Amino acid sequence: MLGPASVWLALFFLAPMALVAQYSFATRELGVLRVVLPWTTQAYRSVLDPAFLPIFGRTVLYAGLTTVICLMLGFPLAWFIARHSGRWRSVLIAAVLIPFWSSFLARIYAWKALLDDSGFLFTDGAVVLGLSYGFLPFMVLPLYVACERMDYRQVEASYDLGHGRLSTFWHVVLPGVAPGVLAGSLLVFVPAAGDFVTPKLLGGVDQSTFGSVIDDQFRGGNNWPLGSAMAVVLLGLVAIVLVARGKRGEDVL
Amino acid sequence: MSGSVRVARLWDGKRSNRRTMLRSMAFFAIAAHGLAACGISEAPQGDPGRPGGRAVNRVDESRLNFYNWTDYIAPDTISSFQAATGIKLTYDNFSSNDEMEAKIASGAAGYDLVVPSDNFLRRFVRGGLVRELDRDLIPNLVNLERRFVEADYDPGNRHSVPWAWGTTGLAYSKTALGDRVTGFSAFDLAEAQGRGMVLDEARDALAIGLLALGHDPNTGDAGQIDDATRYLLNLKKKLGQISSDVIEPLTSGQMVLAQAFSGDAFQARRANPAIAYTIPREGGLSYVDLLCIPKDAPHALNAHRFIDHILRPDVGAALSNAVRYGSPNAAAKPFIDKDLLSDPLVYPSAEVLARLPFIKDLGREVEARYADAWTKVKTG
Repeated sequence: MLGPASVWLALFFLAPMALVAQYSFATRELGVLRVVLPWTTQAYRSVLDPAFLPIFGRTVLYAGLTTVICLMLGFPLAWFIARHSGRWRSVLIAAVLIPFWSSFLARIYAWKALLDDSGFLFTDGAVVLGLSYGFLPFMVLPLYVACERMDYRQVEASYDLGHGRLSTFWHVVLPGVAPGVLAGSLLVFVPAAGDFVTPKLLGGVDQSTFGSVIDDQFRGGNNWPLGSAMAVVLLGLVAIVLVARGKRGEDVL
Repeated sequence: MSGSVRVARLWDGKRSNRRTMLRSMAFFAIAAHGLAACGISEAPQGDPGRPGGRAVNRVDESRLNFYNWTDYIAPDTISSFQAATGIKLTYDNFSSNDEMEAKIASGAAGYDLVVPSDNFLRRFVRGGLVRELDRDLIPNLVNLERRFVEADYDPGNRHSVPWAWGTTGLAYSKTALGDRVTGFSAFDLAEAQGRGMVLDEARDALAIGLLALGHDPNTGDAGQIDDATRYLLNLKKKLGQISSDVIEPLTSGQMVLAQAFSGDAFQARRANPAIAYTIPREGGLSYVDLLCIPKDAPHALNAHRFIDHILRPDVGAALSNAVRYGSPNAAAKPFIDKDLLSDPLVYPSAEVLARLPFIKDLGREVEARYADAWTKVKTG
């Protein structure tokens, strides 16, 4: 029997994916139809063009840096909220979430205005800054849950057994919150790798990412099959990462 | 906060086993098959524009639904049309060709008149989205300037009638660059390094390379397009951004030099008087926005009456005087403001005009070549 979850999955995930997948095997058309028969694998041959390699590398670098920055900023914050905020806890969690109530686009334009005269705008750094800002809450929330769930008595035990602060962090705290770190990293890395708005607005001429090239192929009306094929490849890579997360990540995500 | 965690667990709730995998794969296959049957078809062949026949109102009522760009009409255009014909006009606006195309392509938007730019009109005609005009209903067609009757995007005005036209040139900040901007070499100016931009449109952007190298911007020659691609890859090192949104970066001062549509440049100038516009010494392009009637327009007859109305000399002149664009209406010239007529940026001289061709439709193969060259520039 197809449960409600399967129907939901089929309608909102599998059907659109099927559409993208079949577009990726169609022939490009410059009229209104955008994609036509016959079926071809031309788009996939274009994706494997070495010209796309630097863009792919840049995308992974942006997403990776963003994940590391979010982790470094998010972990102390999550730890503090979970351990030391007392009755302010829900207020602080709300404060992490409230920026989400305003449009992402408006907030990126705000960064554009802030960075205006700095000479920093339209650089790699500006893109990573925008991505880190945008996806930080995705890191904080799972980390918060992991920090809260961790049994603090383990830390006390570690101190009692003679471990120092650093050693306790490394051998007790980190393994304890690892599922949260994994889940948060995935939640940041995956959308950061696919984002196209931030690189388009904060990046300059050499900041195109996989996401923004996909966007170009659709919006300029240039090449829907190529855009679809790139989306399928990106999805495949994300699927590999998700499978590779192993059992530990599943506890939280 | 465990709520959010539970939400995230939805798709993990049931461990997938081989049977659920098979089931979803079967669904996937069926979905793909079903969509293929209704989604993708053969490319349309031959001439999509069969004679439209007599224009009639499918819905018999005195109404007209007009879909136009924002800020692109005279204050009295609508009222004068309603007074002359008694037809009630509903006026809606869009701000990009993409936005408008999405509505028209879906087929059910209910609009009788839309105003795409020439490159989008071509796509509409190719896709059979617009109906052929019933020329007997538009006697004022004779008022059009020859240039807009013979133009390649719609020879003989079979599907469209021009609304207003402009040029693609260079917008720049007088504060930063003074009056040194005369051609594409302006991108080399020290003050423009990292602060110049090029339109994110394959044909317009590659035209910079073609024109700078002395080629025809409508060339189909693969070698020349390759040369232009190399030129742009080199130019790209000096640019700050590649984007079609030029008004905001120019008025805020983020960018000081931009390839721009004249209409956008004049709009930027209204917000910041230090912005100027020029037609590059090497030449540029012309573009035109066109009235056309979607295939399923409910009030096609009324749409024809509007087209004939706007082609009246006095009405066409009032439109041009209000929006400050060039008018395609030759008979309207005597009624157009003298200062507008004498502005060489709105009405370039005949010899300058000769270096401002419309973008020609070069056919599927060459258009694809341009699109690929542009992807190469952007990703290279």
